Amino acid sequence: MKRMFLLAVLITALAGALPASARGNAPARTATPIKHLINVMQENHSFDNYFGTYPGVDGIPAGVCVPVNPFDKHDRRCVRPFHIGDNDVQPADLDHSAATNRLQLDGGALDGFVYALNQRGQDGRLAMGYYDGRDLPYYWEMARQYVLFDRFFSSDHSGSDENHMYWVTGTAGEHRGPLPTEGYGNLPTIFDRLEAKGVSWKFYVQNYDPKITYRAKGELGNRESQVIWVPLLKYARYVDDPKLSSHIVDLGQYYKDLQDGTLPAVAYIVPSGASEHPPSSIMSGQRFVNSLLRALMQSDYWKDSAFLLNYDDWGGWYDHVNPPQVDKHGYGFRTPALLISAYAKRGYIDHTQLDYTSILKFIEHNWGLEPLASRDARANNFLDAFDFSQPPRSPQLISPEFRTPTQPQARRWVLYGAYGTAWSLGGLIIGWELFRSTRSRVRSRGGG
Amino acid sequence: MTIGSNAILDSTLVRVRDRLISLVPGERALSLAIVVVALLVGGFLRLWHLNTLGYNSDEAVYAGQSAAIAGVPGLRDLFPVFRAHPLLFQFVLALVYHYGVSDIAGRLVAVVAGLLTVLVVYRTGSLLYGPMTGAVGALLLACMPYHATVSRQFLLDGPMTLCSTCALYLLARYGLSRRPGALYATGAAIGMTALAKETGMILIVAVYAFFALSHEIPAKSRDLALASLAMFLVLAPFPASLMLAGGGGTSRAHQYLVWQFLRRPNHTWDFYPTMVTPAIGLLVVLVAAVGLWLLRRERSWREKLLLSWVLVPAVFFQLWPTKGFQYLLPITPPLALLAARAICAGIGEASRSYPALKLRWLPLPIPLLRPVAALARSERGRSLFRGGRLTQITPRGDLIRLAAGCLIVISLLLASWNTINTSAADSFLAGSGGVPGGRAAGLWVRTHTPAGSRLMTIGPSMANIIEFYGRKPAYGLAVSPNPLTRNPSYEPILNPELQLRRGSFQYVVWDVYSANRSPFFASKLLAYVRKYHGVAVHNESVPIKASGHRTVLKPVIVIYEVRP
Repeated sequence: MKRMFLLAVLITALAGALPASARGNAPARTATPIKHLINVMQENHSFDNYFGTYPGVDGIPAGVCVPVNPFDKHDRRCVRPFHIGDNDVQPADLDHSAATNRLQLDGGALDGFVYALNQRGQDGRLAMGYYDGRDLPYYWEMARQYVLFDRFFSSDHSGSDENHMYWVTGTAGEHRGPLPTEGYGNLPTIFDRLEAKGVSWKFYVQNYDPKITYRAKGELGNRESQVIWVPLLKYARYVDDPKLSSHIVDLGQYYKDLQDGTLPAVAYIVPSGASEHPPSSIMSGQRFVNSLLRALMQSDYWKDSAFLLNYDDWGGWYDHVNPPQVDKHGYGFRTPALLISAYAKRGYIDHTQLDYTSILKFIEHNWGLEPLASRDARANNFLDAFDFSQPPRSPQLISPEFRTPTQPQARRWVLYGAYGTAWSLGGLIIGWELFRSTRSRVRSRGGG
Repeated sequence: MTIGSNAILDSTLVRVRDRLISLVPGERALSLAIVVVALLVGGFLRLWHLNTLGYNSDEAVYAGQSAAIAGVPGLRDLFPVFRAHPLLFQFVLALVYHYGVSDIAGRLVAVVAGLLTVLVVYRTGSLLYGPMTGAVGALLLACMPYHATVSRQFLLDGPMTLCSTCALYLLARYGLSRRPGALYATGAAIGMTALAKETGMILIVAVYAFFALSHEIPAKSRDLALASLAMFLVLAPFPASLMLAGGGGTSRAHQYLVWQFLRRPNHTWDFYPTMVTPAIGLLVVLVAAVGLWLLRRERSWREKLLLSWVLVPAVFFQLWPTKGFQYLLPITPPLALLAARAICAGIGEASRSYPALKLRWLPLPIPLLRPVAALARSERGRSLFRGGRLTQITPRGDLIRLAAGCLIVISLLLASWNTINTSAADSFLAGSGGVPGGRAAGLWVRTHTPAGSRLMTIGPSMANIIEFYGRKPAYGLAVSPNPLTRNPSYEPILNPELQLRRGSFQYVVWDVYSANRSPFFASKLLAYVRKYHGVAVHNESVPIKASGHRTVLKPVIVIYEVRP
C-alpha cells in the first residue's frame, strides 16, 4: 500500500514537472466557463474617436468645442468634433508621446488636444475628428451584438512601448525609456505565470519575422514595431530559449490551431499591416479582426472562448474623460474595447473602470495565477461583461463589407387579397357554369 | 357427335354466354372502376418515396416564395415574394406555411393537383367520347411517367396543367351545349392557368385555333369578348399585386420578361423529342397519332379541340429558345385522351361485333376472351350465334388492340416505377426530380455554420437549395454580373475574389450537378478553394454503380471553409 502511494506521488510529481507543451493542450481548470482568452491589441485610437457618437455610451458631450490655444485668453477660436471625411482635414499619424498627453490633458482641463498637436507642427484640428458607424460598421455592429467598454483606459500616459509592457507585465517595463541593449531580464510576464502553472499560451504575430528582436531594433525601420508590439521579443530569454520562443508564432498558426483543435488557453495577437495605426486604413483593421473572429466562430472553440479587442493607446485623438490617476504613469486616455464571447451580454455597455492590467486580472482570476505587480493586483476584472447563467450564444458572423440587402418586404395583405380574389372569382365563374348545367340537366330529366 | 350431345353442348354454351353477360358490368360501372384504379395507381406513383430527396432548385424557390408570403422568419429575407412567376399556388402553400414550413407540404399540393387532373381528364373524355374513353385516358395520364414525375414536385406546371385541363373540359362543354356560360367559364379557367404560370397564356392561341378550325362550333363575338373579360378579371390580381404590394415586384417582373425574351437557348432543338417524348411514352404518342389516322373519317370538332391543346403549346415551346423539361406538361391530358380514343374506338368496333356479350370494353382478361373467339370461328359457334354477325368479326384484331392497350399501360407503369424510385445519379435535369444530397447539405449548413455566414456556389440552382434548407444566403459564381445576360431573379457576386479576400464569403459549395453543367465555373470555384485555404468540412455522397456491378459512394456535394 505504501509502495502504491509512493508510486502515485512520483507520477504526480513527474506530471507536474513536464512542460505545458509536452502535456498537450488539455484545458486547464478555470474559474469561469471561459477556457480560452484571445486578446487582440490594435493601435492608436481613443474611445471618442471610434465610439464617441455610439448611442448610450459616455460619448462626446454635446456642444463641446476645444480651444485652439487654451493658454491665450484672447484667442476664442475652438474646434468642434467633426466626422472625419466631412472636411478637408486629412488623417495623419498624430503625435502621442507622453509630452503631448500632458499638454492635451492640461492638468485635467482636457482643453489641449488641438494646441498640443499644433505645437508638434501638425494640424491640431484632426484630434477632434471622429469616426462613426458609417466608417466602422463592423465594430459598431459588434458593439450592438456583444459588449462595449466605455471606461477602458490605456494603462500609461504615453504610447505603445509602455502600454504593451503593461499588457504583459502589469508594469511599464524594467527601463522606462530606451530599450537596454542586453534586452529585458527577469521582469515576470503573464506568460511566465501561465508556463509555470502549465496553462497553454501562444503569442500570434501577423507576418512574424523571428529575426526581428530587441537585438535588431534600430536597424529595421517600420518593421521594428514588431518588437514594441510583441514585448516578449525584448527579453533575451524569450528570444533565446527555444521552449519559450516556440510560443511566439506567425498568425497563420492561429487559423491552423483553430482547425486542428490546438488553440491555447491564452492567445495574444498583434497585427502588422492591419493595425489601424493612423493614417492606415481602418477598414483593413476591421477585416483583420473579422478574419480572426470569423475563424473562431466557425471553430469548436467558440462556445467556451472570450475574444477581447483593445487599442494600445489613444493615438493623440480627443477623448473627453479625464483619466483617473492611479499612479504616476497612468491611467492614460480611454481606448476602445470590445468583448465578444458566447457568454457576453448582448448589446451591453460596460462602465467598469478597466485598463490593460484588467486583462491580466482576468487571466489570473480564471486560471488561478498570482498577480504580477500592484497594478494588476488592484485592477478591476471585466466579469460583469459576461452572463454565465445564459447558455452559450450561437455565433453571429458579421461581414465588415457586406450588408445583407434587406429585401423590401411586399405588403402581404395585398397578396392575400389579390390571390384570394382570383381564387374566389375563378371558382365563382366556373362553379356557376357547372351548377347551372347540373340544374338544367335535372330539369330536363324532370321534364321527361 | 350425336344430336343429343350437341343439344347439351348448345345449352351449356348458352348458359356460359348468359353467365358471361351477367358478369360483365355496365360501361359506366366499369369506367368508374378504372378511374378508381387510375387514382389508386396514380396516387401510389405520386406518393411513393415522395420525400426521399429534398427540393430541387425550382421547388426551393417556389417554396421560398410561399414562406415569404407567409412571413416565415429566416426565409422571408432570403426569398423575395416576386421573382418570375405569378403566385396562385405559392399562395396556397403560404396558407399551409402559416402552420410551419415543411418541404413535403408543397409536394402534397402538387400531388393533389396531379390527381385532380386525372379526374378532370376522365370527365373530359366522358364528355367527348363516353365514359370508357375518359377512364382509359385518366388511366394513361395517371400512369404516365412524365405527369407522375412532374406532379410529384412542387412546380407550377402541375397545377397549371390542372387549370388548363379544366379549361379544356369547359370548352368541350361549350362545344356540346353551346351555352355561353361554358365559354365564360373557359375564359376564367384560362385566366387561372396563366395565374398559375404565365406560360399558360399560350392556351389563348389554342382556343382561337380551335374556333378557327371548327366552323361547326360557332362563337359569338360578344361571348368571346365576355369570356376574355372573365379571363382578364381572374388574371388581374397578378399585375395588381405587382403594382400595389411593393417589394420591388414590378421592376423585377418586367426585367424577367425582358430577359426571357432575349435569353440564349438553354437546350438544343431536339430537347423535347429526345427528353420529353420518351417520358410521355412513345406508345402513347404513337397510338394517338395512329388513331387519328385510322379514325380520320370520324374526325370532328372534338379531335380539333384536343389537337389544338396539344399542338399549339408543343409548337410554341419547340420554337421558343428557352426549354424546360416540364414545360410541355399541359399537352399530356389531351394526348392521353387521343390515345384513349384510339384504343377504345378499336375496341368499340369489336363491341359492334359482340353486341350480345357486351364485350365492348377492354378490361376482360385475354384468356377469357380466347375460348369465346375460338368458338366464334368454329362451325358450332356460327350455328350457335345466329344473326350473321359472327361472319363479319375479326376477333384477333380486336384482341391485338386490347393487348396493345394493356401493353401501353404496363409500359407506362414500368417507366414510371423506374423513374420514381430513388436512383443515385451524378447528373441532374431541372424539373426531373429532387437533388440527391441537396437537402442534407442545406441542413448541415443550417446547423453547423454560424449565423451571418455567406456561401458561394457554382451556380444559382444549388444556391437556391442551400438557401431554402440552410437559411443562409448563397450566391452562384456563374451568375453573370451583366444584367442583360442574367436571370434578374439572381444576384451576382461582384468581384468574387475580392469578396473572398475580404472574408465576405466563409464557405464554398461545390456540387457535381452544377459542375457538369458549368465546368468553367466549377474549375474557378475550386481554384478559389485552393487559393483561400479551403478545408473540406462536409460532403454528401450518393451510391453510384461502378464497373463490375460494384456500388461506390461518390461525393456529389462538398462544402469547404475558406479564409483570406
